[in-house]
Amino acid sequence: MEKVVLSDHEKKLLKRIELRSHTCFLGATMVAMEANGFTYSLIPAIEDLYADDPQGKAEAYARHQQFFNTHAVPFAFVVGLAWAMEKEKKEKGTIDGETISSLKSALMGPTAGMFDNLFFNCLRIIAAGVGIGLAKNGSLLGMILFILIYGVPQSIVKMLLCRVGYTYGTSFIDTMFSTGLMESFTRAASLVGVMMVGAMTAGMVNVPLNLILKIGPATLEVAPVLESIFPGFLSIILLFGYVALIKKGWKPMHLIWLTMAVGLIGALIKIF
Amino acid sequence: MLVPALLLSILYWVLSVVDTSLLGWQALTRPIVVCPLAGILLGDVKTGCILGAELESLFMGISAIGGSIAADPMTTSLIGAAFVIKANASIESAVAISMPIGTVMATVTYLPYGLFAPVQGYFSKLLQDNKVKQFEVTVFLLTIVQTLLSAIVLFICIYFGVEGIQAAIAAAPAWVMTGLGAVSSMALAVGFAILLSQIVSGKTIMWFFVGYVLVKYLKLDTLAVAIIGTAVASTIFFIEKMIVEKSASTQVQDSQEDFF
Repeated sequence: MEKVVLSDHEKKLLKRIELRSHTCFLGATMVAMEANGFTYSLIPAIEDLYADDPQGKAEAYARHQQFFNTHAVPFAFVVGLAWAMEKEKKEKGTIDGETISSLKSALMGPTAGMFDNLFFNCLRIIAAGVGIGLAKNGSLLGMILFILIYGVPQSIVKMLLCRVGYTYGTSFIDTMFSTGLMESFTRAASLVGVMMVGAMTAGMVNVPLNLILKIGPATLEVAPVLESIFPGFLSIILLFGYVALIKKGWKPMHLIWLTMAVGLIGALIKIF
Repeated sequence: MLVPALLLSILYWVLSVVDTSLLGWQALTRPIVVCPLAGILLGDVKTGCILGAELESLFMGISAIGGSIAADPMTTSLIGAAFVIKANASIESAVAISMPIGTVMATVTYLPYGLFAPVQGYFSKLLQDNKVKQFEVTVFLLTIVQTLLSAIVLFICIYFGVEGIQAAIAAAPAWVMTGLGAVSSMALAVGFAILLSQIVSGKTIMWFFVGYVLVKYLKLDTLAVAIIGTAVASTIFFIEKMIVEKSASTQVQDSQEDFF
């Protein structure tokens, strides 16, 4: 891959996006997790790229309002990469929206796993070890060193990763496209993306059914029976039920209201 | 206790917003930072630092992963500091008092997530209507309001004691709590469904189940699934690359034959 030189305009945008990518947990909700922080980070890029294309802009915003979740540090890398992909999509048409979504979902799990270990389970323990040693004697230096070892490097690595994501993302897509392999790459990316959504559904979605049927004198707990057919049977039914409703044209908002109603009413009549 | 309670609740609020939403470090909410800062506010830095060291080692192993509820380190630190510095409690007894409050607070901060789920739809709508400025403002407001709720509960805990809050939670009908819990765990499926409906096709849907089975049956973590997925995908990619290159070279041969 050739070396990429950023124009002054890109440098200015990159600075703003690097700063904004700190807001990873901003306005996090149970529906889309870090999607709001992600959109917030990309606003300068999207406004810049799609200034004369309201339709494309709305589509880009919808794309980045989709569920996203990873560790705060690699978050910036994916933001940089997403910017590169949006730019390629808008300016050269070398990549399509589905591929952008696929790549993002493919990156969530692995980046989170890697950086949780690197920062939360390793650097934090080192910083705490140093900090505790000093704070034990009543010194403020313990607190300061903890922030310097655990907090500040996160920002530095974030900014580096954001830049790497953008520059290498651009040249990578260009290489793929010029060798005529973009279509194959798109298929490969969506395979991993779909697989990761499956993995996350298995790990995170749960329908806490607590229904007990009374058939004459006997009682039957429904959840274990369904679990024995297929573990997480109800989560799969729920997920594909939602997918079917989306295909029918339901808005995400309506799905959320439906979920709230089902959850609360279900709890009231004691099926949860 | 009014002034300390107020000061500590404001500290909680500011640290939550700054650390979680603006910096994304999750570093300023740790006991080793919170306790010394509380010490500065309450006029005893040394004790604050010592308590911070004590609580940080205690919380070293505890982390909330995947929405499971453990005691919230920040509230535990703040309440511990109030008891040690203002009520002259020993560090051990302060920890014993503040841990249960930390657990209550972890619930209190977690529940609004279910309650605020519909806001996501509102955000997406704002962006679709090209109201970007409004999105930027309201997304900050959400964070500020969510953390303010917790800060108010913390104030009540410090000022009136934890019994009131525990009684209030016990008095709320049980179905509201179970219901909000159920909403939280099912709302994620909405997010995944939107994502899936964008990227899935008839040719890739089986890989959803492969990923699902790897986690549900084989209990792999997502990094392991990603490695398997990337290996499979890159194998397919290289096979296609070979085919593309082969057909390209035969085309070159064909055109050469035409030329002669």
